[in-house]
Amino acid sequence: MTIVHIACKNLLRKKVRSLLTMFGIALSAWVLISLFGFNAGYESSLNRDIDSLGYQVLVTAKGCPYEAATLMLKGGTGLRYMPQRIADAIAQESEVEAVTAMLMHTVFDPNKGESGGYSAYLGVDPTTFPKMKPFMEFMHGGWFTQPDALEAVLGYEAAELEQREVGDLLLITEKNIEVKVVGVLKRTGTQDDGTIFLPLRTVQQIFGVTDVLTGIGVKLKHEADITRFEEKMYRLPDVQVVTMSQVKQTIMTLVTTAKVIVLSIALIAVLISMTGVMNTVLMSVMERRQELGILKALGATSLDIFMLIWLETFVLCVLGSCFGAVVAVTTSALTDMLVRNILPYAPRGGLMQISMPLVVMTVGTVTGIGLVSGIYPSWQAGRVRPLDAIRSQEE
Amino acid sequence: MHAIRPAMMLGLVLFSVFGMIEGSFAAVGCDLNDPDRDVARLFPGATGYKTIYVSIERRGGPELLKNIEERLGDSFRGIYETIDVPYTIYEIMQGTERIGYIHGVNAKGQYGGIQVFLALDLNGVIQNFYFQKLTSRFGKELRSHNFGAQFIGLSLKDFYHYNVVTGMLDGNSTAARITNPVPEAEADFKATLRAVKKNLILMDEFVYGNRYLHYCMTCRAQERR
Repeated sequence: MTIVHIACKNLLRKKVRSLLTMFGIALSAWVLISLFGFNAGYESSLNRDIDSLGYQVLVTAKGCPYEAATLMLKGGTGLRYMPQRIADAIAQESEVEAVTAMLMHTVFDPNKGESGGYSAYLGVDPTTFPKMKPFMEFMHGGWFTQPDALEAVLGYEAAELEQREVGDLLLITEKNIEVKVVGVLKRTGTQDDGTIFLPLRTVQQIFGVTDVLTGIGVKLKHEADITRFEEKMYRLPDVQVVTMSQVKQTIMTLVTTAKVIVLSIALIAVLISMTGVMNTVLMSVMERRQELGILKALGATSLDIFMLIWLETFVLCVLGSCFGAVVAVTTSALTDMLVRNILPYAPRGGLMQISMPLVVMTVGTVTGIGLVSGIYPSWQAGRVRPLDAIRSQEE
Repeated sequence: MHAIRPAMMLGLVLFSVFGMIEGSFAAVGCDLNDPDRDVARLFPGATGYKTIYVSIERRGGPELLKNIEERLGDSFRGIYETIDVPYTIYEIMQGTERIGYIHGVNAKGQYGGIQVFLALDLNGVIQNFYFQKLTSRFGKELRSHNFGAQFIGLSLKDFYHYNVVTGMLDGNSTAARITNPVPEAEADFKATLRAVKKNLILMDEFVYGNRYLHYCMTCRAQERR
């Protein structure tokens, strides 16, 4: 009979206690995996949501903070432009993940309404703009075939108002130029729904405003300090910045707070688990004092006894943490649903992200902590003196 | 309080960004851009108006849509001519007396949406015609007084002889007198006639109690009712 068999037999002698100890360890593992899984899932879903907002910073020419409003008010005249090279300069900044250049232009349509009206066109770079707006999906068609194509992509409401479908034509009245509709976007719930998109170069060529822009959308890296970046942007000549810094900072503060809370709860779970294991094994050692004394009298060394008790702890920890991991994985969908109902705001996508490395790491950590907790009881067991143990039985 | 404010702000921002995405959206309707000004211009003598909102979906559902399509002689086309389109009917008042209606519909023109408004008397006879929106190379000609004046005095009875699919008008119809001012604007001209017929059918269903239904000799809808 090997030492492993003896350890397992010993555990089976007190089934209820062994099960309860295992259950305590399983609970710790479950809590740890669920908490870290939630932390990872929430952060990644939140980041995805932030990403889907598109660019967080809009750089415009000074005096033109809300280009669309200015365009409407001034009818496209008196627009302030900035040179296209500013976009390249911004792209060089270390905080920047991507930039997209935009040029808005309006034309007067005398047949719109009783006394005419304006139609606005937004020129976008087909290589960078779609990446900035990953939430944009096409109802029909797709993006432009060429960077200077006479093609248009319409937001859902623009298409609805103009009654346009893929293949239909649009007329830029003032210039008497036809453009072909190549895509109609699904609703996004944003201002893009009412926008007519044309390739940037096409807008520049049609309206004779080459190498200028009205806006630059900037997407920053996750770790970037938006406020610092904003200050940097103000150093550029003749530009001003519209940011979502407050929103992003608030979100990131919430994420950081949540991380601290999660780590605190995890620490408490680990401490409870450690104390539980230590208490249970110590109790077991005290109860089996005479038995351990006899084992020693029969020739077992202190190390043999230490190893036996430590092995029992190891078996309890491995089985308990594995069971906890199984429960955490199988109930993750339920946990996701419960958490989603409790939280005032939950990002889209899965809130629980339990990966295999997380499971292995947690099982390893819980087992390791359990083994550390088992050192003292095992050491106590190894120190039992045969005579004292037998004498205590007589008393 | 300080802790609540950013959370509230975040909630509001995120709701406005994401909440709207999941929300439901109604189809686009056809309203007058400036009702006060437009009503006075389209219905001289009007002193006020009431606004009524109706849709085929709420009024009679798919069965009503089928009847309307039968009367129009064409199915509702495209992805925007749907059953849930909200129609705005302006009930025109002169003092306390109702004197007519103004109603507009969207139509698909060659280069964009066309919005055709009709001012109708209490018998469904056209009193005025107005393109609120039209994108065309020949917008000036189509928006001319002479073109719009051709519709005045006509009713749905006259448009039953217009085939919206082929664009052919029966020679015996009064509507056959309507001429296209620019041959190159054929697509917008046809879209306009279809919009007028559709407008009149909708008004007959929504307001006039189908008083013009019996003129539609090919309609099986008449038998069903």
